[in-house]
Amino acid sequence: MNKQFLKAGMLGLLVAGWLSQAAMAQSDPTGKRRVTSTYAITNATVFKAPGDPGSKATILIKDGVILGVGNSLSLPKEAKIIAGDSLFVYPGFIDGAGTMGIAKPKDVERPKDFVSSNPADEIAGITPWRSATDTYTAASTQVDDWRKAGFTLSQVVPDGGMLPGKTALVLLGDGKTNNFLKLNAALAANYRSSRGMYPATLAGVMAKFRDIYQNTSLVLDHERLFASTAGVKRPQATPTQLAMMPVVQKQIPVLFTAGTELEIRRALALQKELGFKLILTGLENYESVIGAIKASGTPVLIKLQVPDDKSIKAQKADGVTEATKAQYARVKESYDKALKQAAQLEKAGILFGFSTTDAKAADVQKNLKTMMDNGLSQKAALAALTTNPAAILGVSGLVGTLEKGKLANLVLTTDTLFKEDAQIKHVIADGYVFDYEVKKKAIKAEATSAKPEAASNAVIVEGVWEYTSETPAGSSGGEITLKRENGVLGGTITYDDPSGSGKASAPIKNASINGKALSFEFDVAAGGMSLTVTISGEINGKTMEGSLSVPQMGSFPVKAKLSSPSQAN
Amino acid sequence: MKKHIYLLAAFLGLGVGMTHAQIQKGSVLIKNATVLTVTKGNLESSDVLVQNGVITQIGKNLTAPAGVTAIDATGKYVMPGIIDAHSHVGLDVVNEGSAPITSEIRMKDVVNPTDIGIYRALAGGVTVSHAMHGSANVVGGQNATLKHRWGSMDPADVIMQDAPRTIKFALGENPTRVHGRGNGIQPRSRMGVEAVIRNGFNEAIQYKKAWEKYNLAKTQKGNTLTPPAYSERLQTLADILDGKIIIHCHSYRADEIYMLINVIKDFNIKKVVFQHTNEGFKVAPEIAEYTMGASVFADWWAYKMEVYYSTAYNAAILQKNGAITSINSDSAELIRHLYHEAGKTQRYGGLTDEEALAMITINPAKQLGIEDKVGSIEVGKQADLVIFEGHPLSSYAVPQMTFVDGVKYFDRKVDREDQRQWVAATEMVEPIFLRANEEAHRCMQDVDKYFEAFQGAFANEKH
Repeated sequence: MNKQFLKAGMLGLLVAGWLSQAAMAQSDPTGKRRVTSTYAITNATVFKAPGDPGSKATILIKDGVILGVGNSLSLPKEAKIIAGDSLFVYPGFIDGAGTMGIAKPKDVERPKDFVSSNPADEIAGITPWRSATDTYTAASTQVDDWRKAGFTLSQVVPDGGMLPGKTALVLLGDGKTNNFLKLNAALAANYRSSRGMYPATLAGVMAKFRDIYQNTSLVLDHERLFASTAGVKRPQATPTQLAMMPVVQKQIPVLFTAGTELEIRRALALQKELGFKLILTGLENYESVIGAIKASGTPVLIKLQVPDDKSIKAQKADGVTEATKAQYARVKESYDKALKQAAQLEKAGILFGFSTTDAKAADVQKNLKTMMDNGLSQKAALAALTTNPAAILGVSGLVGTLEKGKLANLVLTTDTLFKEDAQIKHVIADGYVFDYEVKKKAIKAEATSAKPEAASNAVIVEGVWEYTSETPAGSSGGEITLKRENGVLGGTITYDDPSGSGKASAPIKNASINGKALSFEFDVAAGGMSLTVTISGEINGKTMEGSLSVPQMGSFPVKAKLSSPSQAN
Repeated sequence: MKKHIYLLAAFLGLGVGMTHAQIQKGSVLIKNATVLTVTKGNLESSDVLVQNGVITQIGKNLTAPAGVTAIDATGKYVMPGIIDAHSHVGLDVVNEGSAPITSEIRMKDVVNPTDIGIYRALAGGVTVSHAMHGSANVVGGQNATLKHRWGSMDPADVIMQDAPRTIKFALGENPTRVHGRGNGIQPRSRMGVEAVIRNGFNEAIQYKKAWEKYNLAKTQKGNTLTPPAYSERLQTLADILDGKIIIHCHSYRADEIYMLINVIKDFNIKKVVFQHTNEGFKVAPEIAEYTMGASVFADWWAYKMEVYYSTAYNAAILQKNGAITSINSDSAELIRHLYHEAGKTQRYGGLTDEEALAMITINPAKQLGIEDKVGSIEVGKQADLVIFEGHPLSSYAVPQMTFVDGVKYFDRKVDREDQRQWVAATEMVEPIFLRANEEAHRCMQDVDKYFEAFQGAFANEKH
């Protein structure tokens, strides 16, 4: 063994490795081909399914499939290790219905002899033969955003008129590969009428839906007769009827977008009348209709958003009349009710997931928290992100939980999910690993030192910490010196110099301590490049355990011991 | 033993579910009022007992059964709930104005029970309204008869489920403007309107025959006949021919009214009511003989060319000629004081109190085919009642309480400031301007949106 090599230490290795990837991978000019498709997340806290209290385990995945979850897995040599010691692993989230990566198809040109009272289906927004995949772009930034929020699978819904086409289940894996899990998963439907032609209104759309459905049913009768009896004229199904057949035969559901209570009731009424399989999506206001949803046994996908509080914030305390105050109170009542809706679905025992349509990926955590602050349980929230949509989409055997044989869709977080400071560090979708920078919270006013009664319980963070870090390349370490100046936590850190000899030192930035949780960043200069390394961990007395993460590289366990405590103020 | 308990629980569970879906019915005793029965004269100092939504006794000195609230109506008047045979209140869509015949459209699909217009109508004593498709098409959609059970979020609760089917037809300027001038297709003239109707019915006859032939053949062994295409549009027209649906036809001029009478005679259709019917007074005997009468405005005209030749005596002339005549609103505003509108037939035509009140109660009930259920105060009828301070035909009449199926949905004494059923969680509360939405709930609603390119040409005609 080369001593120099050992001395270089873990950071040096990582940085050198990172630099060399681009420079030396001769067989892959792009430098982007991954080294292996086998990964092991070792010794992580794994939550296999909603309600699982979590336990330490290693997860081995290969080629997009989970090979095992357990404590005695033998890891193959080609497995790239993701040290999970300080990580929490959940099943990848599932978007029950969304439009990420979907573009609107081009409008069909109207013919010269266009008749607005009886337009061709294609012009009137009736295109059930289309597929969402026709206009889907896996490499879209929307897909990136939702993946970053923990989503690994989406039912993408085509854009268009009242029957825009069939949905598809797509994995949010590598943008360059075919990510289709299931084509023609459901028929998308909504109340969108056509401008200046039949059907021009909601009433027309409902009538047209019945017409298409009934005539498809008759064409099927015709086909059966044709198949069984000689001398029957040839059936001539239209493209619309051909595409409606799996719906009428109850092979696939109708995914009906219904945001409001009345829209939901109308879809339920149509379903009751015609008998198709139904999934409701895009639910926004549904408080009064929960009983009807429950009675119908229809699964629902609610919008992954909560009403904005602009109108609540705009309410003035002074200078308004009693009448206005009464109006304020009604809006507030509606607002409070709206926030509790998800919890009521849980209470009613309705199978529900989320739809990302109209929602913002960056607000997922915040919106989920609001729902949970209003009564939704953690277990139900996680189920609505994983097992419920898997069941609704008919892919429970493939996704939704962390089990041997399921698809390698995982979310790795820095803390238990739904905790305020929990951040998504990696998302594994279709076996592809995506790393995300874990941001540090801004330094908060130090509650621990500000409050005298809390001072005695305050964790000691200031002082010199000796740390070691375990990596596949061996162990490395150095000293972390932390101290508070003018209430701001800062200091320096030493580490094995990536250039191969001795220690290097860097100032600590963005340091914060929140209860026992310490985190900070520092920059490492290597080969003319600068990398921001993050260390976060939990302090227990004089020890700290956590992780050290390097962008694009992953994260590694770190341990530290307080060697020379300084006095707390 | 255990099994029995399970069965009982299952039964009870089912029972609870069914009760939930049922419409609320009330019991009440209204004491010592002047009861205007409309069909059986006026009863001084009398009581009306309602049990489980139905009028069970009318008389003097009735006692309230246990658990039934008694209301002292001394000095007040009780009349049957007012019925508006032409309204667009409680609808999210009025016109599917995209084809000359849209009989497949169902207004029941687009009923909105939270429309504040329903409550306002209740405050004017209206308990039943005929929520109609608009007049953009020659044959419009199938209407919904509503019972104003305010407070439910479920459209099924405000639809009068035991009312017969009705459909909207429209003659004259509206359909020719929308389809002929607006879209360059038939009908462009009144002749075209007639042709559209006749062609529609003839097609429906063919459609019906084709289905009868197929239904007969498909039970035979070795059948090779295939199913005809389904068309709810033609099926609905066939149902009209079979007497299953009452036509409510928007009309103004005598010639077009007489035209439709000829058409229905040719197709052996009996159930037709004319709406608006401003020139009905010219063909009153014919309307009386061949139709279910006319539903008119008290004194509203001259809003477009075909509505100039009009008179406030129209209702009285129709009535005196034996036509069933009702007074309607076609407006979310007029619906609030139809009792005033009915009173105008006394100023213009000298109708009796009973005749005038019949115009907004039993007569519209007949035109909607619900006269056996509502429209008068009689034992066995549904308890849709209004208590008035002052005689309802007086200019000073003020409705005090309105009941539907014995349930009180309006009470002037406990009328909240804000009666909205639903408020958006994101509503920005803005200062209130006291200005009615004049465009709301009119016959030509949604048509402007549809033909906005032509809007300039269409002035502001709405009926």
